[in-house]
Amino acid sequence: MEVRTEREDDVLVTTVNGRIDSATVSEFQHLMERAITDDIRRVIVDFENLSYINSAGLRAVLVITKNLWTRNAKLALHSLQPSIQEVFSIAGFDKIIQVCADKAEALDATQEK
Amino acid sequence: MTEPRKILVVDDEPDLERLMLQRMRREIRRGKFHFTFAGNGVQALEALNKDPEIEMVLSDINMPEMDGLTLLEQIPKVDPNIRSVIVSAYGDMKNIRTAMNRGAFDFVTKPLDFDDLRVTIDRTLRHLTMLREALQSRDKLVALENELSVGRSMQQAILPTSFPETQTYQVFANMEPARDVGGDFFDILSLPDNRIGLAIADVSGKGVPAALFMMSSRTLLKGAAVGRTSPSEVLTEVNELLNENNETSMFVTLFFAIFDPASGLLTFANAGHNPPLIVHSDGSHTLFGTSAGVALGVVPGIEYTQQQIRLEPGDMALCYTDGVTEAENENQDQFGLEQLTELFSESPPTSAREANDIVFRAVETFSGDAPQFDDITCLTLYRSE
Repeated sequence: MEVRTEREDDVLVTTVNGRIDSATVSEFQHLMERAITDDIRRVIVDFENLSYINSAGLRAVLVITKNLWTRNAKLALHSLQPSIQEVFSIAGFDKIIQVCADKAEALDATQEK
Repeated sequence: MTEPRKILVVDDEPDLERLMLQRMRREIRRGKFHFTFAGNGVQALEALNKDPEIEMVLSDINMPEMDGLTLLEQIPKVDPNIRSVIVSAYGDMKNIRTAMNRGAFDFVTKPLDFDDLRVTIDRTLRHLTMLREALQSRDKLVALENELSVGRSMQQAILPTSFPETQTYQVFANMEPARDVGGDFFDILSLPDNRIGLAIADVSGKGVPAALFMMSSRTLLKGAAVGRTSPSEVLTEVNELLNENNETSMFVTLFFAIFDPASGLLTFANAGHNPPLIVHSDGSHTLFGTSAGVALGVVPGIEYTQQQIRLEPGDMALCYTDGVTEAENENQDQFGLEQLTELFSESPPTSAREANDIVFRAVETFSGDAPQFDDITCLTLYRSE
């Protein structure tokens, strides 16, 4: 698993490659939390090259999202593979967390209105 | 021989003592349980202070001087590791809910069913044994491995081991635990009018915290299911309760169904879990969409959609966890829903146990030597006539 982060103003643009499973979930959460400094208002996560996520991974995404909510910051995921999309939709997480088709849509969805 | 486990029974009804000693005489004679009795909360606290070996309290709610709900608040001050089971009137959700919020471990309803009480006592004592092991391993600061294995045992301890089997239907469920992480559980509840409640679930997280979350999910589900006939209301209630004080952001995906053997109707609601597969007697199948409700414990205020299907004789409902469909082979291909549905197209099974055997064998063959990442669990309801 690999997490790449890049700042564009107050947006954190993240790309995750590989698998988020029991072996890698702590590292994923740690890397994300370290990159999300208090001045970040929007986080977008590119899951195009994510091949697997288990329930511990979903929980990590939930923890990150809830922490952002507490200070009115936003998160959107985008470009999910169909199998990953299905994991999010079965658990009903797509009703809680923004899941977008591509980066442009994710940027738009996290826009402060 | 091991010492009998000490249980304090609190009730202002004097006949209960005689009845309990009579119905539990075998367990008492074998040295399995030792009962102490108290007539109200004040006497109960005196008894607990006098005998620190009492592990479990079985208490009525309405009593003079100090009632059962007040007692629940006082018990942790004597010893936080005592577990309480409340005896409540049937369908008295208000009191059951208060009892759960005050840390009751489980509840049984009046009139007392002694078989059910035995199962509940066993489950509570097994939980305590596991909890003690967990606390010990924490004291010793042993490796995570040990914490995981204690969590595992706690998980195994709450699973039902006997399954209903009548002339009209059978239920069978089993779980193949993953080596390290996984949090599947299932439960089967007896409900009024011969109906049964069926639950299959997957808790996120691992080790002792996940096992404790699993316990409270199970107990809250049982609490919410008693006195309610609508699975969607049951899930909404459990979700609210799990969202109170959920600092850890743990969640559980849970499918809950109520089966009425008289009509064959299966009514269900789904909180973020894989929908069941219905296999008909001719080998065809019915699938439900995956656009289920949100998993329990994620956010409060969720309403769940309720669905219903009639199981005809020879039909079965196969409930499963994602450990089945997401089992991987050495190329990291997943077993998948399609392969699961095809298992039964040629020869539909004739019993619940057979259906589970077919699924477990197929997943094992598919996976080969690839590691098992998640628990694999199936719960099958088969309507025979």
